[in-house]
Amino acid sequence: MKNPDAIVIGAGLVGACTALSLVNAGLRVLVLDRGPVASGTTGAGEGNILVSDKEPSAELTLALRSRDAWFELNTDIGGGFELEDKGGVVVSRSEKGIADLKKLSALQAQNGIQVVELDAKGVKAIEPHISNSVEYAVLYPQDAQCQPMLAAAQIMRAVKKRGGAFIQGENVKSINVKSGKIVGLSTEKNTYACPVVINATGTWAGEIAKMAGSYLPIMPRRGFILVTAPVPKIIHHKVYDADYVANVASSDADLQSSAVVEGTESGTILIGASRERVGFKSDLDVAVLRQLARQAMSLFPILSNIALLRAYRGFRPYAPDHLPVIGEDANVQGLWHAAGHEGAGIGLAPATGELIAAQITSRKTFMDPTPFSPKRFKETSNVAI
Amino acid sequence: MSQFNIEFTFDGEKINAITGQSVAAALLAADHRSLRKTRFNNKERGVFCGIGVCFDCLVVIDGITNQRACLIEAKPGMKVQAQVGSDA
Amino acid sequence: MHNVVIVGAGPAGLSAAIAAAAAGAPVLLIDSNPRLGGQYWRLPADNFGDQHDQHFDLDTGLLLINAVKDRKEIEIYIGAQIWSATHKDGINTLRVLHNGVEKIINTGNLILCTGAYDRTLPFPGWDIPGVMTPGGVQSLLKGHGVLAGKRVVVAGSGPFLLPVAAGVIKAGGEVVDLLEANKSYRWLLSPFVLLENMSKLKEAFFYIKTISEAKLRARFGQAVVAAHKGSDGSLESVDIATIGRKFKIKRIRNVKCNVAAVGWGFTADTSLAGALGCKQSVAKDGGVVVVADQDQQSSIPGIFVAGEITGIGGSELSMAEGVIAGISAAKFVGCKVEVLKAHRKRRAKKQRFANALIKSYPVKAGWISWLNGQTVVCRCEEVTVENLKFAIDELGATDSRTAKLLTRCGMGLCQGRVCGRSVVDLVAAELNIAPSDTDRFSAVNRPIISPIPLGVLAKGE
Repeated sequence: MKNPDAIVIGAGLVGACTALSLVNAGLRVLVLDRGPVASGTTGAGEGNILVSDKEPSAELTLALRSRDAWFELNTDIGGGFELEDKGGVVVSRSEKGIADLKKLSALQAQNGIQVVELDAKGVKAIEPHISNSVEYAVLYPQDAQCQPMLAAAQIMRAVKKRGGAFIQGENVKSINVKSGKIVGLSTEKNTYACPVVINATGTWAGEIAKMAGSYLPIMPRRGFILVTAPVPKIIHHKVYDADYVANVASSDADLQSSAVVEGTESGTILIGASRERVGFKSDLDVAVLRQLARQAMSLFPILSNIALLRAYRGFRPYAPDHLPVIGEDANVQGLWHAAGHEGAGIGLAPATGELIAAQITSRKTFMDPTPFSPKRFKETSNVAI
Repeated sequence: MSQFNIEFTFDGEKINAITGQSVAAALLAADHRSLRKTRFNNKERGVFCGIGVCFDCLVVIDGITNQRACLIEAKPGMKVQAQVGSDA
Repeated sequence: MHNVVIVGAGPAGLSAAIAAAAAGAPVLLIDSNPRLGGQYWRLPADNFGDQHDQHFDLDTGLLLINAVKDRKEIEIYIGAQIWSATHKDGINTLRVLHNGVEKIINTGNLILCTGAYDRTLPFPGWDIPGVMTPGGVQSLLKGHGVLAGKRVVVAGSGPFLLPVAAGVIKAGGEVVDLLEANKSYRWLLSPFVLLENMSKLKEAFFYIKTISEAKLRARFGQAVVAAHKGSDGSLESVDIATIGRKFKIKRIRNVKCNVAAVGWGFTADTSLAGALGCKQSVAKDGGVVVVADQDQQSSIPGIFVAGEITGIGGSELSMAEGVIAGISAAKFVGCKVEVLKAHRKRRAKKQRFANALIKSYPVKAGWISWLNGQTVVCRCEEVTVENLKFAIDELGATDSRTAKLLTRCGMGLCQGRVCGRSVVDLVAAELNIAPSDTDRFSAVNRPIISPIPLGVLAKGE
């Protein structure tokens, strides 16, 4: 594609959704990825589309819009990625945990989230195999699930059908800036002239920012997911421990883990969720797998006889304040960032795309994107403008 | 060659076996070639690799699913059933 | 206490165990089967009586097995399945499942002899009950005294088809057709190898005798290209094609049978070596094997490898490598031993035979033309050629790993052991590129080597 209106670097879900929003707005879009579609964190995601884990905040507004956007997108491109509005069940078994959960869900209810409180009988009615130790839970009917790899691939397919171009296997080597403005970028194979570059490289977003002479503090947070052998349907919602919310917000480098369990359309059960700051260390950590198994079994004792078949790991991109970065770079005009969604990337991708597209085309959109602006980071690096 | 000396059931039918034979071997000897139906397309499957690598010969044994018939030794009184999808 | 841990009790593992023990290193020999012998010397329970009929050279096997059993320095741990293994700072941690309980074994000195399993190719109807691997038919006979069916077609490529056909005949079955896809004269490509490996010639004649006595003639340049089921849902007949040099179909005839034993050589079982981080390479036949140096040491000091996982080469090469691995491992733990020139010579001779094997029994890409859109590629997840093509042509998959993630190919219970290799070939063919090494390695990457119940996983440390 010659002289695109915008180049999106990264064909994970955030990049794909951004590209889709841009082609839908009539722009000529080129998407570049150094690997195949969804070869970064998206390919290691669980497929969470959650509103339940967000406290009332800008992120919650983003999540609510994004959740609905997912279903609109599904209709728009004709599905094909196992989108399911299965609902989420958040449980807590400690006195403090239950009190916190009650408080949070009440707040969420006042902010547009549907919540249904459940007692022991109520939980058992919708999740018959849940541990008898669960006496209180909250059902979030709006929580949904998709298959992230298929989603990214189907969205990119739609992008191409609508005139977008997708080049795989080219590595961005330099971001070309002149007088503080983007003029294009170069890969090892080509140079592309373009006034708008969107950095949707997730965990590697800091590297792209650096190439442009700017700065973005995105770090990796490793997570493992266990996948079981296929079994008949025994878990009907996403079920997770309220501790999950605290872990997301935690800045602890050590292993944070709490149970997240759900079934999939193919019959396997996915078990998460762990968070560790170990850089990009990618070997299998059996201790983490054991911890995840323990926690999952504590919620669903029936899992004891079900076999672990495989495990995979991914690196969630996160910013120091645990908010995604969506907006124009602090130093370089025309460089936009859509990254750092830390474990919520799949859920937040469509709305992220909408926010970026709206800002680039100077159109009004569903919320003020300022809270996500990269300009919020105090540190800047030396830029030759 | 020793004679049959143990007995188990397959979907209720009595199957004879010799001590040391696998469930798969005994079932094949009794001309049962279909052991299960697949979970997406309901297709019949039987013994394929015979050495525990392919996971095709899955049967339910005494209520437990995903048992590889080619690896499990037939025991007297075992209740073996054809697996339906991932279920009993 | 043991110094050397050996995984796999087939020809390589047994030889390594004896060599290491004889050199002065106590051994722990682990195998997931209920009996020693591996696939090659697969034996039934004791009550089945004498088994010489089903083997060419059982005496060697029994010699090794009994030698291992007799030696006090060799501790035997059978029925033990390794589900995970990791290497860190010189220590290998093996997590073993035995009778539903997990046991951890830590060792600085390891010999991997995990062998191989039948290589299969997908074809229309290969998922019908009654279509099996040659190894499957043979293991039912050797291990359980059961003939899989009365009318058997044996097909594919490789010398392994001979003993399987002979075994069926000896057990009273009828081999309706014995088909070798390649032409017999391919052995002329390696003329001297047969002469220096007379034992292999002797072995071939041993099987040929049984086959000719049954008035069966092997047919060359023919293959099973489709299977059809009868009204009871199991195998009723197969389509046999005369194929060209590149394996494209020339003409087809249909033959009634109730078992089709179809195999295309072997795939090395490198899961354990890969999980530990041993360097792998792609062999001439496209299979992934573990890299070993002159002393059978892998890329990780203290981990030695022997047998089919270093390259498919048969039992005699496996034994020759096992001996060297055992001696090298013993040396590694401080025993005063050296690998003898005679050992290396023997291995070299057997290696030449293995190289000739690969030359004489290639699998040509024309097999892909036998498939149609409905042909199942991944048996576990029922993924078809059509599904795979959609992932490539519509969803943009440009490598087999992405194709796997988009279709579930290789994500089922067998974790790609059966389909992995074929998927790489199919994806590459659809993209009109050569399969990359990365793709090949990705297809055999299995850090979780065997399924483990979550309850057992949770209990462990």
